[in-house]
Amino acid sequence: MSVQIINVEKAFGSHRVVRGVSVDIADGEFFVMLGPSGCGKTTTLRMVAGLELPTSGEIRIQGRNVTYEEPRHRDIAMAFQDYGLYPHLSVRGNIEFPLKVRREDPATRMRKVEEVAEKMGIHHLLDRKPGQISGGQRQRVSLARALVRNPKVFLMDEPLSNLDAKLRAVMRTEIKKLVTELGITTIYVTHDQVEAMSMADRIAVMKDGDMVQVASPLEMYERPRTRFVAEFIGSPAMNLLPARPGSGGRLTCEIPVLAELLPEAELALNPAALAGGAGFVGIRPEHLSIAETPEKGDFVALVDLVEPLGQTTNVHLRAGGETRIIAVVDRTRAQPGDTVGISVRSDSLRLVAA
Amino acid sequence: MAATLAEHRARQRRAAALYWALALLATAFFFFPVFWMFASAFKSDAVSSTYPPVFLFAPSLENFAHLFTEAGAGRALWNSFFIVTLSTLLAMIAGTMAAYALARFDLRGKNTLALEILSIRMLPPIVSVIPLFMIARWLGVFDTPWLLIAVYTLTGLPFVVWIMRVFIQDIPQSVEEAAMIDGCGRIEAFWRVTLPLLLPGLAATMVIVFMFAWNEFLLASLLTSSEAKTLPVIAANAIKPKAIAFGLACAAGVVMSVPVIVLVLMMQKYLVQGLTLGAVKG
Repeated sequence: MSVQIINVEKAFGSHRVVRGVSVDIADGEFFVMLGPSGCGKTTTLRMVAGLELPTSGEIRIQGRNVTYEEPRHRDIAMAFQDYGLYPHLSVRGNIEFPLKVRREDPATRMRKVEEVAEKMGIHHLLDRKPGQISGGQRQRVSLARALVRNPKVFLMDEPLSNLDAKLRAVMRTEIKKLVTELGITTIYVTHDQVEAMSMADRIAVMKDGDMVQVASPLEMYERPRTRFVAEFIGSPAMNLLPARPGSGGRLTCEIPVLAELLPEAELALNPAALAGGAGFVGIRPEHLSIAETPEKGDFVALVDLVEPLGQTTNVHLRAGGETRIIAVVDRTRAQPGDTVGISVRSDSLRLVAA
Repeated sequence: MAATLAEHRARQRRAAALYWALALLATAFFFFPVFWMFASAFKSDAVSSTYPPVFLFAPSLENFAHLFTEAGAGRALWNSFFIVTLSTLLAMIAGTMAAYALARFDLRGKNTLALEILSIRMLPPIVSVIPLFMIARWLGVFDTPWLLIAVYTLTGLPFVVWIMRVFIQDIPQSVEEAAMIDGCGRIEAFWRVTLPLLLPGLAATMVIVFMFAWNEFLLASLLTSSEAKTLPVIAANAIKPKAIAFGLACAAGVVMSVPVIVLVLMMQKYLVQGLTLGAVKG
């Protein structure tokens, strides 16, 4: 195990920011902590970095307990949201800094700086100051500074959130390629589900200081355990229809067909789903298909709004009275006000906890 | 159109000339006392008492000679240098460290603490003179440089703490954190990263603290008698019960202002940065 977070808690005064988080991160894994602001993801990362001390719990890196070690003794590197570059040093000075602090000899330093600058495509910027280069270039410098000393663990705190959308997409691919190539264990914090889905080997979705689900991106998308995860991942979000156990052990749902179609096995896969007495039947918008004339087994819905996005089309529907659902289809001729038939495959239905 | 453009240009030129004249006037107004001081310092007593005042005269060093031979300015100049330099340094070092702690660490009640530090500054100096005098006598440091060094360090400290705290808060924490992750301990991170970024703020603060102590008269006159007298005290001696020795006073003024002018010129590059820092975020 590369990084182990064991039952870590962090409280600021009486406010518990992180509530008993535990996770094992494997060697070379790209692990993403995803969640809205204030969910404790950055605090957890900072505890791994040693910039915050946990109130309780333990952090191990490469099997060594580093819970109360100084950051410099953890053999980690970190990229910050605002880059954290040293404004008074040149780009070369910035990249060289960790080597200089570790008293490596000048010739080795020079060689390593040149190498990593070449790799990051910032060789031509070496003599500039951070204030003289663009945001994307600054983030490259900060990555170069992190990579130059070959760390065992690479921590990234929303490194792309200050960049524009286009550059973010480019850097996303580059970072993923780079750390996979170098085989560095990476913990990456973001609130952007696209970043999480596209980069992660494994995602931890966090809410109110807890990891609510830890899974691979596809599993997270396919089988969200709770409403929070279901709504946080995927755009448009998963359709969730309140469901509760009725008489005879069968579920009841506002759209009865869905409750009937839900495979028995689903309950076994997410046994906690109905723990509170009620849960949701969930279905991803792209798993709904629209027929202009309802067929047998379909349920009926009223078209509210059609949003053509080019590649796909979002169709906003009302079914079973006032239940609003969204379907994502390629193209449709349906118009607002039309009544259409919606068909569902039973294996795309999920049971989700409230 | 060409005509109106020319008119516009002419109007602009007239406006510029007017502003220029006003600026010159304002400068003359503020500079005149300084000029008067420098001029009077080089006038002999006979010249300086004539009315109307003369602007062309044979400069004489009579006042300076008197100042350094009879008034003991040499000793006082050295005292001033020694006391003010040392107290400024002490206040800067201790004050910056305190400011760092207040800016960066989670201390319980740190705002109260900061206010407490500032409260020294709220006390009118005259109030503290008698207790200071008694303590000094008891400790046997009355009329020694050490007493004034302690007093100036203490009065400079709150100012340094409050100003430097703002400068430190302006430096993003992530810069220091990056340094700590890159292999520095906290002190090394401060030394290698924070301190270089603080230089403009340090320079601006230092000049102000230095000037304050350098010109301080009240405490210096009451807490010294002969050995530890500083320049302002000597300058004040020019005011005699029956007459004011203007030439002497002005000569003392010149001797006092030259080091400050030199210091400001030396620090000019940093001063401008320091005094405007925080006005516009980079």
